[in-house]
Amino acid sequence: MAKSGDGIRILQGLLVFGNVVIGMCGIALTAECIFFVSDPHGLYPLLEATENDDIYAAAWIGIFVGFALFALSILGIVGVIKSNRTLLLVYIILMLITYAFEMASCITAATQRDFLTPNLFLKQMLERYNKSDVDNNNDKWMAEGVTKTWDELMLQKHCCGVRGPSDWQEYTSTFRSSHKDADFPWPHNCCVMDAQGSPVNLDGCKLGVPGYYNSNGCYDAISGPMNTQAWGVAWFGFAILCWTFFVLLGTMFYWSRIEY
Amino acid sequence: MFLLLLPLLAMAHGLDVRPYKPKLSTASLGGLTTSSTFTLEQPRCVFNLQEDVVIWLVVAVPKAVPSFNNSVMPGSPKTAFQKFPTSVFAYMTLNTTLLNYPCHKPPREITVLRVGSETSCAKDNTRPTCNGPLPGPGPYQVKFLALNDSNPVAETAWSDPITLRTARQLSSIPTTGSGRSAGMIALTSILSILFAILLASLVAMLVFCGSNAYSGSSSFSKPEAVTVQRYNTHHVYNQPAARL
Repeated sequence: MAKSGDGIRILQGLLVFGNVVIGMCGIALTAECIFFVSDPHGLYPLLEATENDDIYAAAWIGIFVGFALFALSILGIVGVIKSNRTLLLVYIILMLITYAFEMASCITAATQRDFLTPNLFLKQMLERYNKSDVDNNNDKWMAEGVTKTWDELMLQKHCCGVRGPSDWQEYTSTFRSSHKDADFPWPHNCCVMDAQGSPVNLDGCKLGVPGYYNSNGCYDAISGPMNTQAWGVAWFGFAILCWTFFVLLGTMFYWSRIEY
Repeated sequence: MFLLLLPLLAMAHGLDVRPYKPKLSTASLGGLTTSSTFTLEQPRCVFNLQEDVVIWLVVAVPKAVPSFNNSVMPGSPKTAFQKFPTSVFAYMTLNTTLLNYPCHKPPREITVLRVGSETSCAKDNTRPTCNGPLPGPGPYQVKFLALNDSNPVAETAWSDPITLRTARQLSSIPTTGSGRSAGMIALTSILSILFAILLASLVAMLVFCGSNAYSGSSSFSKPEAVTVQRYNTHHVYNQPAARL
């Protein structure tokens, strides 16, 4: 009897420790998802224009799940120490619901990451950059968002197009229909700018002289932060869920051993 | 007088054909050919003439190359850019004196001629020598022609046909997903399995241990705060002490 008493004490200790880790991870998940939702790189308009911004939905769910995990971990600690069957049953059921939500968030983030290919952004850029004849308000909003985002991206990250400036030459675009090819082989934001914001050498930029125009593509600057966000939400959530799995199994075992 | 006339006649009929072939610039330029412009090497060290001779660029469609007449005047309706290529099959543009093509090429400079860079005069009929954007992908052939007071004195060979870029339709870009990555499949399957195990354990827990009042030896009871009260149910007298 003494030995099983010790065993139960060890299990209690492990469960409390497990719940403490879940609580801390919950806070970390909330913080991480708030950081992603705040869009520090300003890329949200590009996602919004793809009409599929599920990565942001996954981050939003992550905020609430993280907070729920923290609250439930406290409930779990109290329930384990008091060995109260009701508390622990409530804990287990609520944890399973939170588990289901977090699972949805992880899978959504991972799946949507696969959806964001270079071709998607290329087509979106060619269709919406500098689009002036818009069908409705929504279209106008998306076109303005895409144009503004691309302009800032090209200026700040010193890049042009998705794969390079040749994107503007290889494909037709809305930009091409309003800007002549001879004057604008690519947008002027692709030119190297001086301190006042005008091209250092416009003719050199139009010719494509290395040093006067940005010859590398912007895809790395777009996919880097999005990858970080998707993997941050998906894999950190996965790690939390694996840990929670063991804690929940332990709690269920503990619950079944409490004498009513 | 006769002696003076002879060289003049010689000049008029003796066209100096240089073996130089105009070609696209060899510098690494992103915009070497676009869909309406292309960039040529400057004809440096090609002509052996006095510096005030005017060098013109002739741009023609290939079918007009064999029949091109060097005596046609630049700036006339027969060589007007605005009518190219519908009724005019070769136009002349980018005129400059030989002074601007010195033999000595500075090593760090890029010396090129961009054909098609003037968009302001493309529809202006008063500017027939406009260096306007080319109307289609071509192909085009070019040559340089040296004119001294409207008399052709030298020319280069015709270039190889130059074809410009054609833009593909943006609707041809495939945006269907690239398939599922291995990480995402692993993540989904592992999480689903774990969730299924948890649900199964929950069901097992509730069904088998739900009313577990009389459990086995390994169960334990709640630690209760038990106060032990010792009751003396019988008043115990110290008998021997009382008898004495």
